[in-house]
Amino acid sequence: MLIDKKYVPRHEKSFIVCHWLNAFSFLMLFLTALPLYADTFRFLYDIFGAHTLQILHRVFAVVFIATPLIGMLIARKGFGTLAKEVLSFDKDDMVFMQKFPPELIGVHPSGMPKQTFYNGGEKMNISLQAIIWLLLVVSGLVIWFGNGLISKETLAWMIPLHSIAAGIGFAAAIGHIYLAASVNPDSMRGMQEGNIDARYASAHHGKWIDELIAKGEITREEVDKAIGINQEKPNKKIG
Amino acid sequence: MAKEMAMLHDVSRCTGCRACMVACKQWKNLPAENTPFDGEYQSHKSLSSKTYNLVKMNERVEDGKFHWDMIKVQCMHCENPACMKGCPEDAISKTDSGAVVINQDKCVGCGYCAINCPFDVPKIDAETRKSTKCNLCVDRIENGMVPSCAQTCTASAINFGTKEEMSALAQERLTAVKASFPNAQLYGVDKNGVGGTHMTYILADKPAVYGLPDDPKTSDAMNLWKDIIRPLGKVAGVAAIVGCAGAYTLSKVIAKKHKEHKENGKGGDSHVD
Repeated sequence: MLIDKKYVPRHEKSFIVCHWLNAFSFLMLFLTALPLYADTFRFLYDIFGAHTLQILHRVFAVVFIATPLIGMLIARKGFGTLAKEVLSFDKDDMVFMQKFPPELIGVHPSGMPKQTFYNGGEKMNISLQAIIWLLLVVSGLVIWFGNGLISKETLAWMIPLHSIAAGIGFAAAIGHIYLAASVNPDSMRGMQEGNIDARYASAHHGKWIDELIAKGEITREEVDKAIGINQEKPNKKIG
Repeated sequence: MAKEMAMLHDVSRCTGCRACMVACKQWKNLPAENTPFDGEYQSHKSLSSKTYNLVKMNERVEDGKFHWDMIKVQCMHCENPACMKGCPEDAISKTDSGAVVINQDKCVGCGYCAINCPFDVPKIDAETRKSTKCNLCVDRIENGMVPSCAQTCTASAINFGTKEEMSALAQERLTAVKASFPNAQLYGVDKNGVGGTHMTYILADKPAVYGLPDDPKTSDAMNLWKDIIRPLGKVAGVAAIVGCAGAYTLSKVIAKKHKEHKENGKGGDSHVD
């Protein structure tokens, strides 16, 4: 059943909370460590005090580590879907990855195969974020608690590893924010209200909509009707 | 340019009187620390932010024979200091005399020097949140004096002079020490994984007996981090932001053109094959 005859339910509330906690803690971790990484941001130490930022870095680290762990308990459906989707990366996802780049500048490619709950690019991003999370957590915990427990050489390698993971994570986050906020603003509702416009869902996650219809969670008629309503009031967005 | 200096501790001459520890505390104006009695003469377990110089008095029984392994530990003043390489704030530098010193104003207490030091020397002070360690009494040696520990040593176990003088003395003493201690060897005098040190030793036995690493090393990880990853990371961060801003601008331009196109009645959609 569509919400307000227009929106397809997508994310559970607890999963949305986890997303934003992850985003917020990553951003704060990045900011509190930035002066150590680039002298340009030394002023942050001067304003807040180096020790304050170092303590805050550890506080947000706990949030960053705990979020997905607790999330797996309180948002089982969302995390289950994540795992299932990532493990089912197939030929259609490869085609998506090849045809996707023009979308970055607002040109919608033709002949895009129908995508599942997450498209090929999202699956890549989820895998990347999971790997980065693991690298950051392991290297971070070793730097935090490892002195005296493990060899100096291993300890020293954790610092570049932590930095590389943070750097790639930041670049990926910028790309993620750009794609969500600028290229596909309709997707933002998914992480705010937990549901997305049926028209957007059909265009970007066709296979998922087919699955929902097959499962009887929504009907083809209500989706068509929702899209029809939207067509009467054309979306200003191109494509 | 100041001459390259070195300190030489001849452990076979050390009587464990700990006068050097007291002299260090006095010159550095460091408070005494209460240490528990653990049934042996060892006072402090390790260096601390209040103790830059420590005489270790390790009791050892080998083949039924009792050994008392005494050694003065402090900053080794490496030729290629791992702490200096690891410092993100460039707060650690090496003087011409070979002393490795921490600029307290620049230090932010991140602890990377402590992580990287193969000798586990720098300690972050819990109150000041700054890294601390011996600076080879740089203020004294650059004014023609010797470090306070060397000045006070009653047994002539601590020697201080130019690198050449200390190397020559080390070789000379080694021959004499070997008569009593066949395993005797020099430590830090010659080049090693940290490029040699300005704190050098004549050890009566293997380095491991004194808790010294056999092959101390300045990790390549820090070179990679400082020289490649940090600059690359900055470029990647800026590139991601500039890239997205560029893509955004381009998408607006394309959208505008497409709109004009439509208004001219030519129709079409912004699709590509």
